[in-house]
Amino acid sequence: MPDSGSISLPLWHLPVLVLMPVAVLIALAIGLRRFAHRRSAPGEERDWSVPPLTDERGTSPLHRWDVRCKIVIILVYSFMIVSLERLVPALAAVGVSLLILVIAKASSVKVLSRLLAIAGFVGMFFLVMPLTAPVHAGDTVVVFGGLEWMAFNLRGLQLAGTIGAKAVAVTLLMEPLLSTAPLPVTLHGLSRLGAPEVVGQMVLLSYRYLHVFRHEARRMSSGMQVRGFRKRTNLQTLRAVANFLGMLFVRSFERTERVFDAMRARGYRGRFPEPEVRPLEAKDIVLSAVWLVAGAALVAYDRITW
Amino acid sequence: MHDQPLPVQRPTLEATLFSLQGLFYRYPDETLALSDIHLDIAPGDRIALVGQNGSGKTTLIKLLCGLLQPTAGQVRYKNQVIEGEYLEHSRLKIGLLFQDPDDQLFGHTLLEDAAFGPRCQGLPQPEAEAAAQAALQHVGLAAMRAALAGLLAMKPEVLLLDEPTANLDPHQEQVFLDLLIGFSGTLICISHDLIFLYELCDRAVVLNQGRIGHDYTLRELVSQRQALREHGLDFSFRLVAAPAHDEPARPSIAKPEAVTATNAGPTASPVVDLRRYTYRYPDGTLALRDASVSVRAGERIAFVGENGAGKTTLLSCMLGLHQGQGEFLFDGRPVTRRRRKALWRQVGMVFQDSADQLFCPSVEEEIAFGLHQMGLSPTEIRQRVDRTLSLVRLEGFEDRVPLHLSGGERKRLALACVLAMEPKLLILDEPTAGLDPRGEELLLTILRQLNVTLLIVSHDMFFVGELTRRTLVMHKGSIIEDVPTHAFLQDERLGNLNGLAYAYRRRSGEAIHALQHEHEHDHRHRHLHAHPHPHGDITHEHLHEHEHRHPHRFMHSHPGEESGHDHLPRRYHDHDHPDHDEDHDHSH
Amino acid sequence: MHISDGVLPLSVTIGGYVASGALVAWSARRTHHEELPKLAVMTAAFFVASLIHVPFGPTSVHLIIPGLTGALLGPSAFLSIGLGLLLQSLLFQFGGLTALGANALMMGLPALACGWIFQKFKGRTIMHQAVTGGITGALGTALAAVILAALLASGGEDFIGVAKIALLAHVPVFIIEGFVSAFTIGFLARVKPELLQPPYLHPQKVTHA
Repeated sequence: MPDSGSISLPLWHLPVLVLMPVAVLIALAIGLRRFAHRRSAPGEERDWSVPPLTDERGTSPLHRWDVRCKIVIILVYSFMIVSLERLVPALAAVGVSLLILVIAKASSVKVLSRLLAIAGFVGMFFLVMPLTAPVHAGDTVVVFGGLEWMAFNLRGLQLAGTIGAKAVAVTLLMEPLLSTAPLPVTLHGLSRLGAPEVVGQMVLLSYRYLHVFRHEARRMSSGMQVRGFRKRTNLQTLRAVANFLGMLFVRSFERTERVFDAMRARGYRGRFPEPEVRPLEAKDIVLSAVWLVAGAALVAYDRITW
Repeated sequence: MHDQPLPVQRPTLEATLFSLQGLFYRYPDETLALSDIHLDIAPGDRIALVGQNGSGKTTLIKLLCGLLQPTAGQVRYKNQVIEGEYLEHSRLKIGLLFQDPDDQLFGHTLLEDAAFGPRCQGLPQPEAEAAAQAALQHVGLAAMRAALAGLLAMKPEVLLLDEPTANLDPHQEQVFLDLLIGFSGTLICISHDLIFLYELCDRAVVLNQGRIGHDYTLRELVSQRQALREHGLDFSFRLVAAPAHDEPARPSIAKPEAVTATNAGPTASPVVDLRRYTYRYPDGTLALRDASVSVRAGERIAFVGENGAGKTTLLSCMLGLHQGQGEFLFDGRPVTRRRRKALWRQVGMVFQDSADQLFCPSVEEEIAFGLHQMGLSPTEIRQRVDRTLSLVRLEGFEDRVPLHLSGGERKRLALACVLAMEPKLLILDEPTAGLDPRGEELLLTILRQLNVTLLIVSHDMFFVGELTRRTLVMHKGSIIEDVPTHAFLQDERLGNLNGLAYAYRRRSGEAIHALQHEHEHDHRHRHLHAHPHPHGDITHEHLHEHEHRHPHRFMHSHPGEESGHDHLPRRYHDHDHPDHDEDHDHSH
Repeated sequence: MHISDGVLPLSVTIGGYVASGALVAWSARRTHHEELPKLAVMTAAFFVASLIHVPFGPTSVHLIIPGLTGALLGPSAFLSIGLGLLLQSLLFQFGGLTALGANALMMGLPALACGWIFQKFKGRTIMHQAVTGGITGALGTALAAVILAALLASGGEDFIGVAKIALLAHVPVFIIEGFVSAFTIGFLARVKPELLQPPYLHPQKVTHA
C-alpha cells in the first residue's frame, strides 16, 4: 500500500492512537456513570417524595451573592464562553470554571454526573468531526496505513476540542449557580428580573412532582418486573412500554386534578404569593463587575491574538 | 327503612354553619352524583360521612368547600350562599385534606408548603412562616401530618377530611386521631374505618347512591348491623373475633394448613430461607439488618411493624427485586444472580396500591400478561384466566377496563394476576388498605380458601389474626420477634413495643361490639307480682297481674354468627313500672 | 438528543432564545391562566416519560415523545416542553443552558405541528386514533431530528458531517416512537378518551365558574 497525505503513520498506530483511547474513554464514562448513578439516584424504596423541612444554606461567597446578579452574570458569562472560537481561550475558560467550582464548594458527585450527561453528545463530535471536517489549505491530515477514506483531519479534532472545552466550561458553572441558593430563591430571582412569577412557580411544581412521578413510575416498573416483564427488542415490549406510558399519563392527569383542587382549597386564586425582596449591596455589584471583566478578557484574548 | 330512627338535635337556623338545601350535582358526563341533599351542620359538629364507594361522599365534600358548584340547590356557609367573592373568602376558613399527602404537599419545602395557605390569606411572609412553623411543630413532620399542618396554619373553622388514615400505620393513626380530637372546630370526615370514626365523630351521615340515607348519631349507626349491611358498611365481621374471645386458631384456616403440612412432610426444606440478610439503599442507608427468616411450605406468616420498619424491603428481596448481602436460599438452593432474575416465576406479590400493578387496557390482557411472559400456550392461558377470574369472583369482567373498576375489584384483579401464575409463595402488601368493608370481607373469604404459602404485611390486626398463625415483628430494619399470631395479638407489650398502638382499636372494637348487641325492644309484658300500692289511705301489698308495653334495653349474644336479630322477647327481666304507684281498683 | 453548550454559533443560540420566547408567550396565552399549575404538574409526567429507555438491539434509546406531548396538550405543549427542557437542563444537564432556546424549538415546533395534525385527522374509532397517533409520533421525532440537523449545520460546512450522522441516528428512534405513540394513543382512547379531546385542560370549565 502506497503512503500518501501530509502525515502518514503505519496501520498499527490506529489502534494505539485512536481506538484504544476511545475505548478507554468510553469505558471510563460508563464506569463513572454507573458510580454516579449509584451515588445520586433516588433509592428504590426510600421515600423521597416528602419535601425537606427547609433548604440548607452554605457559606461561600457565591452563597452570599445576590441571586439576581448571579443569574444575569452567569448567563451573560456563559454566552461569552460560547462565543469563543479557539481552543486555548476555551481551555482557559475551563480553568476559570474549575476555580469557581472550588470557591463554591460544589459537590463533586453532582458535577461529575453533569459532565457525564454531556459526554455522549460531545463525544460524538470527537468521533465524527476529525473524519468529516472538509480539508482546507493548511490543514494537517493524518492517514493510517494508507486508509485514505479514513483520513483524520487534525483541524476537525481541534474544533471538537474547542466545542468540548466550551461545553465543559459552561457545565461546570451550573452547579455553583444552582447549589449555592435554594431553588425557589434562584427562581424568584429570575422573576425579579422580569420573568413572570408564575414561571418560577411552575418550575418548582414540576420539580416537586417530578420526584413523585418518578417514584410512581419506579413502582409500576417493579410491578411489571414481578410479572416477568423484561425489555427486549420486539413489538410486545413496545406495547407494554406504551401501556406503561398510558398509565403514567392517566395517573398523573388524575393527580394533577387533585393537586389543583388542593391548591384552590387552600386559597389559590391564579396567583402565587410573592416572596419578599432584599436590596442589592455594593459587594454584589463588585463581584459581578469582576466576573464580567474576566469574561470580557477571555473574549478579547480569543479575538485579538491570532 | 330501618326501625327506631332517633331524632338528631337539629341546629337552629342562627347557629347553622353549613346549610345545604335541595342540592343536586351532575358530573360533566351527565351522571347524577348527588340528588336532593338537605343537610344542616352546626358549628362544632363532628360528622362521619360514610357510604359505599361511589355514593357521592367526595363530591359532597368538594361542594362544601366550593371546588364544585352545585347543578341545582344551594350551599350556604354562615347563611350566605358560597359563590363568587364570598367563596374565595370562606374557602380560607375551610381546610380540605386528601387521602394522599403528595396531592397536598406541593411546596418545595415543608415550611414553604405550610406557609402557602397563610400567604393566600394575605399574611406577610414572616408571619406566615411563623404560623407555618408553629403548625408544623404542633403536628409533626410525617407526610400526612405535615399536610394537616398546612391546613392548621390557616386556623380553619372547618376541616374536611377525605379518608385521612388510609395510608397510616397504627401508631401514626393514633397520633393523627389525637390531633383531630384536639381540633376545636367543625369536622367532617370521610372514612370506611368506623372504628376510627367512632373515636372521632358523634354524628353520622350515610350517603346512599347520591342521597342521604340516614342522619343520626354515630352510636346508632354502628349499633344497627342491618343498616350497616344495607350500605355496604358492615364491618362487624371484624368484631366477631374480638380479642376478648380470641381462640388460638380458627378451624377455617387450620384445615388447608394441615393438608399442606402433611403433603410437604416435616422434613421438607423451607421455601425461603434468609440468613443474616442485610440490605442498604443505594445512598447507604441501612434498610434491613441481619434479618433471618425461614418460611416452610404452607405456612402463613404476618409481618408487622411501623411504616419504614423494612417489611416491604424484606419482601422485595424475597421477590428478587433487590439484592442484599447475606444468605438467601429458595427451595433449598442458594439464589444466585441468575436465579434471582427468575424468581418471579415462583414468587408473586400483590402490591399495596393496585394502580402500580395494573397497566393493561382490559382485565383479560392484564391477567394474561404474566402468563405470556411465562411462555404458556394460548389455550392454557385462556383456561387459567377463566379459572382465576372465578376464583376472585370477577366472572364476566374479561373486557372491562381495569382502571374503571372499583377499589375492591382492582385489588382482587391484582390478586388474580398473581394467582394465575401459580406462585409457590404469595406475598400481600397491606391487602386491606383503602378497601371498603364489603371489599375486605370478600377478600378475606377468597384468601381463606387459598392453599399457598402466604406472607402478609399488614397493620390490620384482624386480618393478621384471621389469616396467619405466625407473626414476625419488625422494627428499624430488624426482625425483633417471631411468635405465634395468637400470642402476638394477646400481648400488649409486643403491640406497643414499636409504636404499634393497637390498643385503641381494640377498645373501640369492644365498645362497638357491646353496642351492637344491646337493643331497645318494645314488646308486651305480662307480669304477676307483688308490689305495694295505695288504696285510699291504706297501703298494702299483694300479687297483681299486669299487661303493658314499654321499651327497654338488654344485652344478648348471638351464638350462631348469622342468626340475625329477631330473638324472642325475654319475659322476665328487671324494669321499672312507673304506673305501679297509681291508685287502682280491684277486688280483694 | 439535546444540544449542549458550545456547539451552536452565538447568533443561533440567541435567535433560538428569541423565537422560543415568543412561542412560549403565545403558548401561555393559549392556556387558561388559572390552570398553569396543572400544566406544570403534567410537565413533570412528560419529563418522567422521556426518561424511559427502550432497548434497540445492543443499545437502548430514550423516548422523546414530542408527538404525544403535542397530541395531549395542544397549543400548551410548547410551554410545557420549554419548562421541561429548562428543568432537564438545570437538573441533569440534558441540553445546555445557552442552547435552551434552540432545544425548545427543536422539540416544541414538532409538538405543535403534531398536535394540530392529530386533532385534525384523529377520527372517531380507536383504531383510527391509534394509527393517527402512530403517524404523528413518528413524524414528530422525524421533524425534531431534521431541526436538530439544521441547527447543527448552521455552524458551517465543518458541521455538515455531524448533522448527517445525527439525522441517521434518529431513524430507529422514530420507528420506535411511532409504535409506542400508536399503542399509547390506543390505550388512552380505550381507557380515558377525554385526555385526547382538545380542551382537556379545562374539562369542567362550566362547572368551575
